[in-house]
Amino acid sequence: MFQTGRMLFERIENRVLVSIIAFVSIMVLVGWVAINENARMASFSRQYNARAIERGAALFANNCTTCHGADGLGGAGVAPGLNNPQFFGHDFIAATRKELNSLNKQLTDLGVEKGDLATELTALDAELTSDGLTDARKAEIDAREVEIATRLAEIEVDLVDPTRTARIAELEAEKQAFADSVITAIDAGYNVEQPARTDILKWGGTQEDLIITTLIHGRPTSGSYWPAAMPAWSQRAGASMRDDQLEDVAAYILNFDKGDGWTVEDLLAVKQFGKIPGEGGPAVEITPIGTDVTAILTAVTDGSIVGDPVNGQALYESRSLGCSGCHYAGGSGPIYDGIYERIVTERLSLPQFAGYTAEHYIVESIVEPGAYTVEGYAGMTANFGERLDLQNLADIIEYIKASDPSYVAPTQPEAPATDVEATPAP
Amino acid sequence: MSVLPFPSFLDDIKEKGIKKAIFEGVDNIVERVTAGMNIQDIREALRGETPTRRPNPRLQPHADGFWLHMRPSFFHKDMTGLYPTLRLGWLSTYMVAFETITGMILMVWYTPSPQVAYGNMVNMLANVPLGQLMRDLHRLGAEGMVLIVTLHMLRTFFTGSYKKPRQFTWFTGVILLFATLFLSFSGYLLPWDQLSLWAVTIGASMIEATPPEIVGTNLNLLIRGGPEMGANGLLRFYLLHVLLVPAVLFIFTGVHYYKVIVHGHSLPPKSENIGEDTAKRVPLDKRVYFIPDMLTSEVMWIAISTLVMVVLCIWFYHAPLENHADSQITPIGTTAPWYFLWIQGALKLGDKVLWGVIFPGVYLAFLAVVPYIDSTKSRRFADRRVALTVCFLLMSFTTILSYMGLSEYGVAASADTKIIHEMTKEPAYNKMGLLLPIPFDRLVPGAYTTVQFEGDAPDSAAINFNAEIEENGLRAELTSQLSKVHLASNYQTLPFVAVPDNAPELHRALEEFYELLETNHEELYNAWGVVIVTQNQEGLKRVDVLISWDEVQLDTGRVIKGEDGLPILVLDAEGNTTRRWSVGHVFVHENSAYFEN
Repeated sequence: MFQTGRMLFERIENRVLVSIIAFVSIMVLVGWVAINENARMASFSRQYNARAIERGAALFANNCTTCHGADGLGGAGVAPGLNNPQFFGHDFIAATRKELNSLNKQLTDLGVEKGDLATELTALDAELTSDGLTDARKAEIDAREVEIATRLAEIEVDLVDPTRTARIAELEAEKQAFADSVITAIDAGYNVEQPARTDILKWGGTQEDLIITTLIHGRPTSGSYWPAAMPAWSQRAGASMRDDQLEDVAAYILNFDKGDGWTVEDLLAVKQFGKIPGEGGPAVEITPIGTDVTAILTAVTDGSIVGDPVNGQALYESRSLGCSGCHYAGGSGPIYDGIYERIVTERLSLPQFAGYTAEHYIVESIVEPGAYTVEGYAGMTANFGERLDLQNLADIIEYIKASDPSYVAPTQPEAPATDVEATPAP
Repeated sequence: MSVLPFPSFLDDIKEKGIKKAIFEGVDNIVERVTAGMNIQDIREALRGETPTRRPNPRLQPHADGFWLHMRPSFFHKDMTGLYPTLRLGWLSTYMVAFETITGMILMVWYTPSPQVAYGNMVNMLANVPLGQLMRDLHRLGAEGMVLIVTLHMLRTFFTGSYKKPRQFTWFTGVILLFATLFLSFSGYLLPWDQLSLWAVTIGASMIEATPPEIVGTNLNLLIRGGPEMGANGLLRFYLLHVLLVPAVLFIFTGVHYYKVIVHGHSLPPKSENIGEDTAKRVPLDKRVYFIPDMLTSEVMWIAISTLVMVVLCIWFYHAPLENHADSQITPIGTTAPWYFLWIQGALKLGDKVLWGVIFPGVYLAFLAVVPYIDSTKSRRFADRRVALTVCFLLMSFTTILSYMGLSEYGVAASADTKIIHEMTKEPAYNKMGLLLPIPFDRLVPGAYTTVQFEGDAPDSAAINFNAEIEENGLRAELTSQLSKVHLASNYQTLPFVAVPDNAPELHRALEEFYELLETNHEELYNAWGVVIVTQNQEGLKRVDVLISWDEVQLDTGRVIKGEDGLPILVLDAEGNTTRRWSVGHVFVHENSAYFEN
């Protein structure tokens, strides 16, 4: 083969033949690839989207679950659920709602027609009493008035059509029955009349746009109605995520959508629904306790304020403070059960808490949560000093102490200083 | 008599008839386009006949035309076969043209910006017909060109063709080797995936090590456009890749080839007397004319080479595309491109400046000046024992260094990290985590433990394992570990079961996991591993992998053994063993189709 001076395919016609065969083969092969390109590209896109969902899942697990929950169901009073039929605009009573709306529209239309006819009748009556009316015109008006009277009589009958009335009542009952069946969801912020999040927000873009824009900018105003504002995540907004990562997270969140497969159980599982941006904020003026741990500790322990564990529990579970949104089994904060015992036996035995009382530890953990975070849990928002007054704080401390089986409630003064209503309303 | 005021084609028709006039017109055009050969001349050439016209029209295109002005009109018969050139120089030139054409097509779809570069790649694969093929061809061509240019250099060395008078030709060849390496290397960064970023980061950090410090720092800033590889660095690499280095390559290809022609292709050593150079004195019976023989041969080689590339890219090779570049995540097992592995290997020998900068610099400088050092006359093997020995030693040395450059060699990582990585790593270098290729429906949700392989009864082993961890308190710690990685709480306390029969691939992966733990049983003392498969979303499963073991004392990655030959455990203040945990997880979507790869 390596014989010196001998060309590969020594004869010229063989070289030409081989060239032609090779060139034709290239064209056939490339043509064959081209024919299959649509299928290949579709397959690549499907695979790429699947892997985007996987990457999004990893990002979601690391960054989003602290507030939105490991299962995407949200945290009560902390952050809305994304694994959520309302978020994807699924209406469980779409058919009922559609028929009801159409029937109500009929009634409205009849009312409008009735009003229009009455106006016309008044105008015709006025014309009749005017001067210089020709006979022909008078006859015309009379005929029209008869027509109107007939139609008005028809409308009156139609307005009280028993079939329609009965059907409306039936549909209203159906809607009510649905509302009754999802009462826990309604407690968590679901509105039967507005089943789609995009409608509530008057959002004109796609669901993906909504997710990505929220990820880019966060929800800077939400600190007034959630314990913490949602931070911005995009590098464009000075945070950590690249555009492709935002797209991955959006792909993962969009994959929660079950389309027509959503069930009422899915709706009931949601721990928190989205609120309207700007809603909430302190309804009642409170005197914030601030962040001076020593001063607060003195104020709540000098005996002038007595905490109420019942009100404390209400506050703890309220969606306005959102404590229980994180402090549940598997949540991003330690669970309530046994919390006082763990404080006394585990936390206070740590060297850095030498000399602390349980109250001191609790107060510091609430108003200055960054001072110490129990290993394995996410950090807590540091704005509770602005959201609590002394009485509320004392109530919550009492409720935390009440997790201990040997707890005895203190004697309450005659008139409780505050109640649940005094807290920032949602 | 012309119908127009000047002589025209119409006159020709009137004079000669339409058929003859058209034929002569076409013939005339062909002769002008080919700079000297009319249709009859071409026909004769392709038939292998001798030219009938005088002077020989086949020499005219070389004398008058631009395209063949640098090509010799005849070659020496002794170097037209596969030996001695193996067509490697020609193939290198072919690759330059091939890469230029495919590269220009790819440029249409590419923007050198970190924001969009990776998206361009995805778009090219998802929406551009033949986009994948073009990318594959360009990438394979780049790797192939490095290989071919290197082999060309070795061939030139073996046949002694670098010797006088061709020393400078060799020198320009080394410049072309540099240009080829740098072109291939700079192209590496452009897709802006993890492979790009980290391979180039390794390369650029060597530049940073150039002494003295002020030079290295500024060279690094100059090439990367900042302390880290970012938008500026990508743009610079792109411009180097498509403008500066190609310009250097084209110019020196011209110089190199000009020198080849000026000195003639060196003949096989045995066909000349020692010290003679007869390349330019080609006897008449040894002449092989460019037209038609070399021309048809080259057209054939173009056709065959392109066909080979297309076939390889359809069935055997696809250009890699890993995840988006992320400067925060250093992939385990990052290596430089294969042709720079020898430098990475050298770096493991010691000092960064010595082995990463001075050594490669001296190596390449040595290559450049080889012809001036080895000035012996003979090109025959028997007379060049020293030169050939040095060459083989260098080749072996480079091969060994390249092996040492692999991530498998001498990179210390703890056993648990390696095993978790082995189980969950995303596809890279055509390898992926053991859990990924399991078909989606065979990835049956549940909690499984490697303990099931200890003994013959997997079911009872799993049940016993549940009881055992409840008893020794490790269950609570396990739950806490899973909570830390945000596994949904209802999955943290799943009871362990044996892998069901309908999940053979999962069974195999768990068994391999067990074997990995067994292999590392000294470092991972009393270890067990668990794999927890959970349904995360419709069509999406999450697989958590966790290793638990008793910590042993290590000395730079090696287990310290006591007198009884057993590892020495790390004990806390109360004399208890320290339980260590290592976790990892991976998500698998049903359409990810890892198992089809």
